[in-house]
Amino acid sequence: MDELTSVFIQEGREQLQAMENGLLDLEQDPDNHDNINGIFRAAHTIKGASGVIECHYIENFMHRVENVLDRLRNGEIHVSGDLTGLLLRCCDQLGRLMDVLEAGDPEPSAEVQAAGESLQIELNTYTAHAAPVAGGAIVEVETDAAGDVHSSGGGVVNTDSWHISVRFGLHMLRGGMDPLSFIRFLGSLGEIIALETVPDVMPPAAEMDPESCYLGFEIRLQTRSSKADIERVFDFCRDDCELRILPPNSKLHEYLKLIHDLPEDDMRLGEILVRAGALTQAELDEGLRAQLQVRLPGAEGAAESTPIGEILVDKKVVHKEVVEAAVHKQTQLSEKKAVEARLIRVQADKLDQLIDLVGELVIAGASANLLAQRSGQSELVESTSILSRLVENIRDSALQLRMVQIGETFTRFNRVVRDVSKELGKEIDLIITGADTELDKSVVEKIGDPLMHLVRNCMDHGIEPAAVREARGKSRRGTVELNAYHDSGSIVIEVVDDGGGLPRDKILQKAIDKGMVQPTQTLTDQEIINLIWEPGFSTADQVTNLSGRGVGMDVVRRNIQNLRGSCEVNSTEGEGSKFTIRLPLTLAIIDGFLVGVGKAAYVIPLDMVVECIELKSNTADRDFLNLRGEVLPFVRLRELFEIDGEQPARENIVVVQHAGQKAGIVVDQLMGEFQTVIKPLGTIFRHLRGIGGSTILGSGDVALILDVQSLIHRKTRQEERSMHANSALPRSTQAN
Amino acid sequence: MGQVVQSAGKAGTAVQSAAVDNGPQQYLTFTLGGEMFAVAILNVKEIIEFGSVTEIPMTPAFIRGVINLRGAVVPVIDLSCRFGGKSTEVARRTCIVIIELVEGDLKHDIGIMVDAVSEVLEISPAEIEPPPSFGAKIRTDFISGMGKVNGKFVIILSINKVLSVEEIAILSQMGETGSTESV
Repeated sequence: MDELTSVFIQEGREQLQAMENGLLDLEQDPDNHDNINGIFRAAHTIKGASGVIECHYIENFMHRVENVLDRLRNGEIHVSGDLTGLLLRCCDQLGRLMDVLEAGDPEPSAEVQAAGESLQIELNTYTAHAAPVAGGAIVEVETDAAGDVHSSGGGVVNTDSWHISVRFGLHMLRGGMDPLSFIRFLGSLGEIIALETVPDVMPPAAEMDPESCYLGFEIRLQTRSSKADIERVFDFCRDDCELRILPPNSKLHEYLKLIHDLPEDDMRLGEILVRAGALTQAELDEGLRAQLQVRLPGAEGAAESTPIGEILVDKKVVHKEVVEAAVHKQTQLSEKKAVEARLIRVQADKLDQLIDLVGELVIAGASANLLAQRSGQSELVESTSILSRLVENIRDSALQLRMVQIGETFTRFNRVVRDVSKELGKEIDLIITGADTELDKSVVEKIGDPLMHLVRNCMDHGIEPAAVREARGKSRRGTVELNAYHDSGSIVIEVVDDGGGLPRDKILQKAIDKGMVQPTQTLTDQEIINLIWEPGFSTADQVTNLSGRGVGMDVVRRNIQNLRGSCEVNSTEGEGSKFTIRLPLTLAIIDGFLVGVGKAAYVIPLDMVVECIELKSNTADRDFLNLRGEVLPFVRLRELFEIDGEQPARENIVVVQHAGQKAGIVVDQLMGEFQTVIKPLGTIFRHLRGIGGSTILGSGDVALILDVQSLIHRKTRQEERSMHANSALPRSTQAN
Repeated sequence: MGQVVQSAGKAGTAVQSAAVDNGPQQYLTFTLGGEMFAVAILNVKEIIEFGSVTEIPMTPAFIRGVINLRGAVVPVIDLSCRFGGKSTEVARRTCIVIIELVEGDLKHDIGIMVDAVSEVLEISPAEIEPPPSFGAKIRTDFISGMGKVNGKFVIILSINKVLSVEEIAILSQMGETGSTESV
């Protein structure tokens, strides 16, 4: 797939998302005219861009959609549930068409085409009494659009022509873009009255690079479209071409400025403009003479009375490039897209590479620090510590680059909730809070599917039908909440519903039926609820196409665990349930706390560490202690990891906290904070629980990162098992 | 030949027959517990001195640990242990041979611990006998053939089998549960 197409798909999907969000808002607020315009603009942009990349099946389809939207915009038809539903289905179809394009298939499959055709028939019912749709359809839309001057967002003038001056960049052809396709698409906006090719920068044949583009065009265009529409034609090559658009009836000096700004010879360009019908010869002569006069007395005196463009031209004599850049910037700033221009689209893998390099920098910095400290030279120590502080800052900003807001992921669910609630015949609202919470892009990408499962489950199993809700004294409309916030170095995402909650007895019964638990076993409420995470578990009486197959929850949990996260569920019968997902903020670099056991070093994620205390000896054989009145169970790392060697005289406990639970980890030495670049341990160790990864110390040795939660979990299981074993064999002596 | 070993699977047989026609292949030979072994040279990425290895707790004994190979964390397998013998004692000539494995689209680097690296030999396909069905005291699927060098047999390892990431991952999981139960 060429670059242009991939840009189209990326931007098209964004527009599609905007369109979909707009349609969902439209249902709530049918009279918001700005919103309708926004939807129309999104659809129009997609259509336009698909024309540029010559993807006709998308262009044709979007054209139909646009017709309906246009009538909607002009108030000829009115917003209804059916209409928005239809348009949303059109969005889905467009998504499928983009999939086809992305997959590189020349034509959509018969199935997709059939879906498209049936949608078009439905769409036609809304445009039935409009002008017949024919080959010149695009022009027809523009005529319609002209009916609504204000909403199309630019000065639309009915007389005279636009002047467009475009110089395509050298790399245009190499980027896979055909200048002609832009001109052709421009033609669909209106009538090109005159077109002059400017091949002046073309070098002599010997120096010419056949892969470079040396072309420029001066175009007179008669159209009713706005400036923004014309600019949009060139959206795809904006970065790589010089574009100047003069509105109809422009002043003479604006043309002169144009002449001077462009790199070609003034006189030559002037002639071209005369030929194109933009200027008369007399006007040109007069203008150039006037310009000359201004230049002679010196720029100082003329500064006040001369338009800014001409001053710039004066300076151009000295610094042509500077002025070029300034003028270009100025036009950019005056555009409506000023905000957008401040964003830079960066390839994700470039960012990943940067993060990798920063990781190496952190390791190298740690090693320099270590050497400096060993050398004992205070100046060296000082300078390396400044260095490491800077490295820390760089690390933080580099990681910040990858942070994205979770809002985009959340808003997708508006559509899901709408569709599913219609399908289920339930009335459900979605409430989103904390949409601006940021987390690592790689995490965001992978959290969508598990969230989808949870939200669907909430709607299907959680929220009761309206009648049942009323009988229980709740409002008819159920709510599902999505909430995100930061909590001690991790991000917490909650999915809350106010439905019936998890049916404790039903879950237990099902678990007994499936042989997951013995009928005699006594389980706490929480333990019973946690059974839903087991593979193959489902309490739904009927398998719907949404959920109930029992493959969901364990997959959800596994996906979240793969992201080094955890998930838990709280539920009150009759009042609702709350799923809490806890994820690390980043997958690349963390602040760690370095501890030593024997000769080995381990890293505990710093944001889990609460405090460190000395382990007083003679705490009997029990593995817990009294921490200011609290019972603190602890794990002896030396025992758990079966590390050889003598216990030192003094041992320490690192008190860690995770999801509200405190525990101690007994280690030999405390070695302090350490910036930890996480290195995955590789596929060989993927089943290993208790070790979250590895990192490289300043000395070059490898240290292991402890996965505190699964360590504690492991220890708990271990003890449970040995207790069971002991009670099963009454004669054996107690191990602990 | 390296390709042959790496692309065990569908294309493997076709490439192998082509490789056989191409005459002698190069092998890296090394000793382990007094015995001579060989691996196809194209699998070998580099040979490094045995340095500091970080042990990984809760893994089977044949996983010796991980090393820092210029910023990448690479697991090290104790080959002698993997063949069911004792764990290798570290001596003056102990080396780690870094092997590159290709499984599907993934590339893995794995280090193997050997007593000493000997030399690079050319062995022509005619000099390679099929593995004996028993008697080698090593799982037969680990052996790709027996090379005849100076009248002695050299065991040519099928390194993809010996270092099968899938198998090691499963074994390490079993090691984990095993140690849990033993406590």
